[in-house]
Amino acid sequence: MIIKKRKFTGGYTFKNFKGEPSDELVKPEIPERVIIPLKQGFGDEVNAAVKKGDSVTAGQIIGINDESISSPVHSTVNGTVEDIKKAEYFGRLINTVVIKSDVTPDFKPHEAGTSSWKNLPEEKLEEVLYMAGVTSLGRSGIPTRYKSSAILPGEVEHIIIDGVQSDIYNLSLTLLLAGKGLNQFIEGIDILKAIMPRASVHIAVNKYQKSIIKKIDESADNRKINIYPLDPKYPQGYDEVIIPTILGREFPFGFNAFNMGIIVLDIQAVLHVYEAVVLKKPLIERLIALAGPGFTENFHIKVRIGTQIDYIVKNRVKPDTSLRYILNSPLWGNTVTDLSLPVDRTVNCISCLVEDRDGEAFSFARPGISKDSYSKTFAANYFPFKKTINTNTHGEERACIFCNYCQDVCPSGLVPHLLYHYVERDMVDDILLRYRIFNCIDCNLCGYVCPSKINPAMYIKQGREKLTGMGINPKESVLRRFKLKGVKENKQVNSEYYNGDKS
Amino acid sequence: MKNLKKSYEKLYKIKPLMRFKTIISTLEGIVFGTSEITAGAPHFVDNMDIKRYMSIAIIALIPSAAAAVYFFKLHAVELILVSYISGGIAEVLFALIRKKDIEEGFLVTGLIFPLILPPSTPLWVASVGIIFGVIFGKELFGGTGRNIFNPALVGRLFVTISFPQIMTSSWQLPFVDTVTAATPLGLFKTAHVLTPYIKLLLGTSAGSMGETFRIGVIIGGLFLMFTRVSNWRIPFSYIGTVLLLSWIGNFFLPAKIAPPLFQLLSGGLLFGAMFMATDPVTSPYTLPGKLIFGFLAGIVTILIRAFSGYAEGVMFSIIMMNGFTPLIDSFVINLKYRPLRNER
Ligand code: SF4
Ligand code: SF4
Repeated sequence: MIIKKRKFTGGYTFKNFKGEPSDELVKPEIPERVIIPLKQGFGDEVNAAVKKGDSVTAGQIIGINDESISSPVHSTVNGTVEDIKKAEYFGRLINTVVIKSDVTPDFKPHEAGTSSWKNLPEEKLEEVLYMAGVTSLGRSGIPTRYKSSAILPGEVEHIIIDGVQSDIYNLSLTLLLAGKGLNQFIEGIDILKAIMPRASVHIAVNKYQKSIIKKIDESADNRKINIYPLDPKYPQGYDEVIIPTILGREFPFGFNAFNMGIIVLDIQAVLHVYEAVVLKKPLIERLIALAGPGFTENFHIKVRIGTQIDYIVKNRVKPDTSLRYILNSPLWGNTVTDLSLPVDRTVNCISCLVEDRDGEAFSFARPGISKDSYSKTFAANYFPFKKTINTNTHGEERACIFCNYCQDVCPSGLVPHLLYHYVERDMVDDILLRYRIFNCIDCNLCGYVCPSKINPAMYIKQGREKLTGMGINPKESVLRRFKLKGVKENKQVNSEYYNGDKS
Repeated sequence: MKNLKKSYEKLYKIKPLMRFKTIISTLEGIVFGTSEITAGAPHFVDNMDIKRYMSIAIIALIPSAAAAVYFFKLHAVELILVSYISGGIAEVLFALIRKKDIEEGFLVTGLIFPLILPPSTPLWVASVGIIFGVIFGKELFGGTGRNIFNPALVGRLFVTISFPQIMTSSWQLPFVDTVTAATPLGLFKTAHVLTPYIKLLLGTSAGSMGETFRIGVIIGGLFLMFTRVSNWRIPFSYIGTVLLLSWIGNFFLPAKIAPPLFQLLSGGLLFGAMFMATDPVTSPYTLPGKLIFGFLAGIVTILIRAFSGYAEGVMFSIIMMNGFTPLIDSFVINLKYRPLRNER
């Protein structure tokens, strides 16, 4: 059933940038070495279940902890464990398992998986998902009775599947749902429904992908699935934005979607659910987009989780150019300073931008046929040319002139420049709580639009860190207004899903 | 271009020039663009910068400035030049003292100021006014972004108060050199004469240099709103309030309060509402605050026009509301963000 839905206020649509990934899919060789972090996706770090020198097969569980809220981690190649060591992975010190591979492509299938899953008892189905590792996907995880999330499957009221493509670079829906993909996707939803019988299913799709919306609607038959064509306006895909848009419910900032009995997954996660159950395939591979003009060609690539970034980008980037690699989106991702780091389960995209220190002569006076801007002062606002993207700031830093751009685009209804002024003058106290500093969802839009080249988002983050350092707990203030689930469990779990930036 | 930039950067190595470092780096920014890159997420940013922001404002003022030059010939050119040069010197001196880049905002102030002067203003008065405006309206507060009052208006107010003789009694009509006449608002006040609307629209009536060609002002103002450099809320509520109040007022007190359309098309209302009340720094940043600002400014304008000794009240009302801006903002913000305690 297609439901036309409201929009959210604020936000900004990034469209038509250079470096968008094409629908082409490349499958590289199996890497010679993978590095597997023992914390991936939702949940706590797990204990290593292998020792140095052990030989492992792809799909074998190498890390598991049944006590904490977590999901198992698998070896993604056949080979031997070279080392288990603590390493810094995007701002977090975690144990990683280094595996030398014998480059054979086969993997150990999950015995319990079956295509006639409808006959399986719920418990067995949950076990398959848990053992396959897919329960760690999404910012709230997929609940099972194996402590993969802070709530139980029976408590889930809504499953939201996000295909809005609101980021600047997105995985191609056409590619994900090509061929059998569409039916697998729908069957994945059926599996989710089977373990979460109370939940209603909502799919949000980029409204410009008309044919895909139609196809999903047709294959959904008479299942009760709500399809929402939404504007691909950033940050529509964030849990804090998509839930109010679709369900009209206020988000308890500082908490997780599961506290409301909602889980949000992306389309790839649903496909992983299908693969785990029907194809018996543990979570060892992922589709990743290579985006940004730093690459010679932009396409999708299917890699084993744990593949090092330099193995992926090697020979695919522009030579003799100073480049910046970013894990995930250029809007919120982390800079990759060490190319030997691996990709984990949460990575959707590797972006590569050109570091442009040259500047442009009289850039402020040019018509700007390929320049993106929130203000409508460039020719690119009116013509459909591809827009350039690089790391230059396009202007010097100046004092804030209260132009209101940051306030207009903020999806959380904050006044970023107000918070910025407080933090900049080091006036960090309760008043910032009142101005809802903890409602900031780190979308970084305010930093994007500022003509004075200030990054309020950065200051807001600093302010929050200072406040938490002072022992202020923002969560206390929202508790009584919402009926929340799994709050006690939530305290124990580190609910960070994406690496670093998102918390 | 790269080589040129390299040789330009050599300037930084010349010791005696370093006293003027801010000038050199400002020029570099204008000519070569910036070499800064983003520090982290977001890794790429909007192409808009303050230079372009201010350039757009200047482009929007071009119709008014061109009309001023067309009407008042050489003297208009001289006034604009004097304003830019003497204000520019003050600006540069402060930049040197503060060791910061020269602020682009002055380019707009320096153009708005002559446009709100009577056409026969002597050059020295203009020079004194803009210097006063730049120093006391802006620099003493800490520069663009920290000022409370619109610097161009501060300068204008200063010369009005200091040299009332020159500023209020010598209105020159376009094209004719010697004749001085009262402004349409003055004529209404003293003789109850309504100047024809077409004359008001085309600018062939007395008034400040830039405000009389009202078609140009409207085009420029709409352009600003369209490019998101100004926000429609203030002009909308300001002009709307004036129209509404004068419609009601004219009904009851036709001798004192002129009809709505005349109010709209006379004096500096359009110019003030489009270009000065919308100055982002000195007007409220909250959206409801903008509406309140315009509303109050509209009331004050009508009150001054109708009941005070002055014929025109736009300037006073805007500068007065500039002073109330922080109050309006904190009022709206405190209403919008209730203390968290209430939510428990
Ligand atoms: S304040 Fe936070 S939520 Fe608002 S635009 Fe900035 S980063 Fe996004
Ligand atoms: S976008 Fe930048 S200049 Fe504009 S109000 Fe926000 S912080 Fe200030």
